[in-house]
Amino acid sequence: MNVHDKSLSKSTAKLLSGNSACAQGAVAAGCKFFAGYPITPSSEIAEKLVTSLPQAGGVFIQMEDEISAMAAVIGASMGGVKAMTATSGPGFSLKQENIGYAAGAEIPCVIVNVMRGGPSTGMPTRPSQADIMQTRFGSHGDYPMIVLAPSSVREIYEETIRAFDLAEICRTPVIVLYDQVIAQSSETVALAPPSGVRAERKWASGPRADYKPYAAGIDGIPAMPRPGDGYRTHTTGLTHGENGFPTQNPEAVERAMSRLYSKLDLHRELIESWEAIRCEDADVVIVAIGISARAAKRAVEICRAKGVHVGLFRPITLWPFPEAALQQACKGARAVLVPELNIGQLRLEVERLLGRHRVEGLHQYSGEPITPAQIAARATTLASEA
Amino acid sequence: MPHSRIELRFGGTGGQGLILSGKMLADALASEGKHVAQSQTYEPTSRGGFCNADLVVANGEVDYPLPIAFDYLVLLDKLAVKPSWPRIKPDALVIADTRLCPELPDGSTPRHHLPLSRTALELGNERVTNIVALGALIALSGICKRQSIERVVRTGSPRAFLDLNLDALAAGYALATPVAAAAS
Repeated sequence: MNVHDKSLSKSTAKLLSGNSACAQGAVAAGCKFFAGYPITPSSEIAEKLVTSLPQAGGVFIQMEDEISAMAAVIGASMGGVKAMTATSGPGFSLKQENIGYAAGAEIPCVIVNVMRGGPSTGMPTRPSQADIMQTRFGSHGDYPMIVLAPSSVREIYEETIRAFDLAEICRTPVIVLYDQVIAQSSETVALAPPSGVRAERKWASGPRADYKPYAAGIDGIPAMPRPGDGYRTHTTGLTHGENGFPTQNPEAVERAMSRLYSKLDLHRELIESWEAIRCEDADVVIVAIGISARAAKRAVEICRAKGVHVGLFRPITLWPFPEAALQQACKGARAVLVPELNIGQLRLEVERLLGRHRVEGLHQYSGEPITPAQIAARATTLASEA
Repeated sequence: MPHSRIELRFGGTGGQGLILSGKMLADALASEGKHVAQSQTYEPTSRGGFCNADLVVANGEVDYPLPIAFDYLVLLDKLAVKPSWPRIKPDALVIADTRLCPELPDGSTPRHHLPLSRTALELGNERVTNIVALGALIALSGICKRQSIERVVRTGSPRAFLDLNLDALAAGYALATPVAAAAS
């Protein structure tokens, strides 16, 4: 799973921030519309796209607030283009109603959430990882959600591109989630042009008379009507049947909800991504994302140098959580450590999946990142106790 | 440690151009083929408050992008001493501004008090203190080639600041050169 180059050529090495990489990834993915409202520490994404997106034939709009920005993104996507917004904490909260709309009406789009200290206005310039559960359950009702959690500048670029692909393939909003440290730090990277062909939307085809906008085949994904193609359609936030019109018929509702909620399961292999480092013989497996995973990677080295068998499992796809991969990685472990910049969120999911394991959290919410030394010390203690 | 790793900090207050200095040095190092991670902390205000720009430099990929212990520390305000001093290596090199950061904790850590901000004022603008400091740091540390940083300053400066920045960089070198000569 590790795709990182080990050497940099002088000609291609470039210093790039995480937010810049996100903007570049959006353009490379074929994004043609961005609507946003500036908020620290995500503003650089908009700042970059305001020039690069029009150059790539796209449209950039600064909206009056985060709510309207999310609405504009939904509208643009229904209009037929790949669309994105980027925000942070308070702005992400404001977007939740419309994110739920996009999930329910199955509108492909990408939402970037750069985590800062919370709750409320919190700490604008300090890192946090306290939106892990909000990305999954932020809007009301049952709905599926894809959340990608890159942990380096290069990975932000790659996962932003993948977010657009998955949004189109699964006809769903996709959230790219990373913390302030990864967002605003710069790293030398030589970004490779995306391999393969970018995913394009499945457009409605066939007889117009029989068209049902929410009828899906075996892949669980209904084809979208391209504006101008002549398909009669209806889009609503109300629970709807295959014809797109509101319904409260119990059977129709149950059928629609079951398909909506389970459609990602049909594409799980495509969606799930993770990195497992030295888990095979690990007594303690660390599970972490973002900057905490970068610290954990170093902690694994520190522990191994002292003969303590520690490994790292890093979910790159945070939701749906790579469940089987985690269980496989922790098979031989006697304890699992979850370092995260919050009071305990990722730990809850790890506990759910590893019922028989001893799972401990290392939670820090001071606004300071957890250091490799902190993680190594805790992992060493756990290994000795286990 | 998988690769030789050098860590450094420009510490001061918001608005001093510390992040610009950090980014310029990072660009210069990247142009020499080094792997660099550059990070920062700052306050929500655009001026004032503790601010720093940190660099981690390695020959191979930087696994952990944040600094652990500094090899070099540049202090442009007394506010930066407290959060930075506990994290310096015993043999770290410290450069502090004579006027803005007059007092440093006792100890054997090599330190140089240089008139960075006064030099910038003499050049006509205190705002280039960050570039004077950049020149002094590179002259004392030899962390990158002079031509590399000059190229970055040349291409990265707004037109109105180009000559002033180049003069500030040269002044930083001039301040540090006798110190470096005396130390060697």
